[in-house]
Amino acid sequence: MEAIRNALDVSDFPKIDLGVALAVLVFLFCFPFFPHSAFAMATMIQFFIFSLYGMGWNTIGGYGGQVDLGKAQYVGIGAYTTMVCLLRWDIPFWFSMPIGAVLSIGWSFIIGYPLFKLKGHYFAIATIATSLVLKDLFEVWKFVGAARGLGILPYKYHPPDFWRLIFKEDIYYYYIIFAFFIVGLLYMNWFRKSRLGYQLRSIKDNEEVARSLGINVHWAKIKTYAIATAFVSVVGSFHAVYIKNIEPEDTMSLDISILIALMAMLGGAGSLWGPVIGAGVLIPLKSYLKEWLGAAAGLLGIDLIIYGVIIMIISAFEPRGLWGIVERIRRRRRS
Amino acid sequence: MALLEVHHLVKAFGGLKANDDVSFAIEKGELLGLIGPNGAGKTTCFNCIAGMFPPTSGRIVFDGQDVTGLPAHAMARRGLARTFQVYTAAGDLTVGENVLVGCFMHTHLRSSAKSKADGILDQMGLKEFRHQLVSELPVAAQKRVTMATALGTDPKLLLLDEVAAGLNPSEIEATMAGIRRIHAELGVTVMLIEHVMELVMNISHRVIVLDYGRKIAEGLPKDIARDPQVIKAYLGERYVREHAAEIGG
Repeated sequence: MEAIRNALDVSDFPKIDLGVALAVLVFLFCFPFFPHSAFAMATMIQFFIFSLYGMGWNTIGGYGGQVDLGKAQYVGIGAYTTMVCLLRWDIPFWFSMPIGAVLSIGWSFIIGYPLFKLKGHYFAIATIATSLVLKDLFEVWKFVGAARGLGILPYKYHPPDFWRLIFKEDIYYYYIIFAFFIVGLLYMNWFRKSRLGYQLRSIKDNEEVARSLGINVHWAKIKTYAIATAFVSVVGSFHAVYIKNIEPEDTMSLDISILIALMAMLGGAGSLWGPVIGAGVLIPLKSYLKEWLGAAAGLLGIDLIIYGVIIMIISAFEPRGLWGIVERIRRRRRS
Repeated sequence: MALLEVHHLVKAFGGLKANDDVSFAIEKGELLGLIGPNGAGKTTCFNCIAGMFPPTSGRIVFDGQDVTGLPAHAMARRGLARTFQVYTAAGDLTVGENVLVGCFMHTHLRSSAKSKADGILDQMGLKEFRHQLVSELPVAAQKRVTMATALGTDPKLLLLDEVAAGLNPSEIEATMAGIRRIHAELGVTVMLIEHVMELVMNISHRVIVLDYGRKIAEGLPKDIARDPQVIKAYLGERYVREHAAEIGG
């Protein structure tokens, strides 16, 4: 199985990267055994969820250079599919998750086909628009609870329920999403050196050259968009059973879309570690800022100001994010 | 049998006819030069053949099949590769990765694409640069990268767009040897646009001349060099009048 060998192949990374990555993984694995607050635990789970969203974004947005600001619509499709399946027909998570992914991919083809005729900013704006339209539709759609959304009542089930992913203790969620995280990392490690991965980077480099090398640019983008979508949808399904209450204004809001893109960009778009670094910085920042400032001084919304500042700093100084800074230093040292 | 036939090719941009009724053919195994003053429509002709945009009218037949209007990626899959005059590689692909992209055209497997790319890098003398960005290389090496990348797709016909522009004499010599090697060892039919006359006149079996979008001459390099029409296109009417004796003799 060449694919599995390639997913595990990390020989092109410097030793220090692998050392740091391993240390971080060991820490993440052991984290629940250290004394911690429930709040820290929740923040860690959010970190995993958003790193995975960011990895999905990174395929099309980072390697492909197509800035997508509409990922929340796929969070929504995944989350709602799982929720509706559970509440209406008692379909457990492990079945509703792939159903959600298939629906998301279907939707991504429908909107991806026309969307990828657009370039640059126009594409970015169009992704925002489709996402907002879908959100508005969900807000008036009675079948999915309209604006009030849907909620799981945990006492109706018998936690720990591994089929429906309903638990009382967060530690179960922690290890499940940790497993997703590992799979996500391995997938991305395979993807970045796959045929499609190289084709995308070539497209980002120069579309004319890419076409002359036999790459169907439009189709390659649509395919990758579907991959990004599946990633986000699967994690969206998990998100739903974890937070247990979803409504369009939360799950599918523009904030989520921007946060996903921002994390990947802050960490380093188009690199394996980028989304993880971005989520590692932004999610704790967001949680603790809300906790300390928001509640204390009524400064809700300050996180949005901080995002704005971060966007400006990235675009002005280092478009390749924090990882870009690391690479630049390395490059300078070599030469 | 002709590998490529171009019949009455016309490409108009608005009112400007960049190519006007151009017809020619390339035989399998040939080395064909395409010359002409700046703005004569050489690159437009390449772009039409390579499917970068469809011709306004006319027919293009490649390897026995009508390929008029096929998109560039489909042309590449049928065995037509090209290089670009200005290779803007602003991205983060290294030399090795650039070549790898071409090699991925015929295979999904990373290992086979990789070993093929390694072979091409070696052949083209790019091994030492493999981990560098294309933009960091000297011009001559950049030109070799564009050729190496195109070769990764296993072309039957290779279109070279000014691969010797901006090179010094010894580099031109090396490029010439490189093209000959590609032609002879890999059995690739080559068509090249070139302003560097010593190269194009030296290695082409046959030369076609474009001027103002029209084909004004076609023939052996030694005949083309003495063709009054061609000299007029390059050097102007007056030069031809004043030097009529030399050209005629």
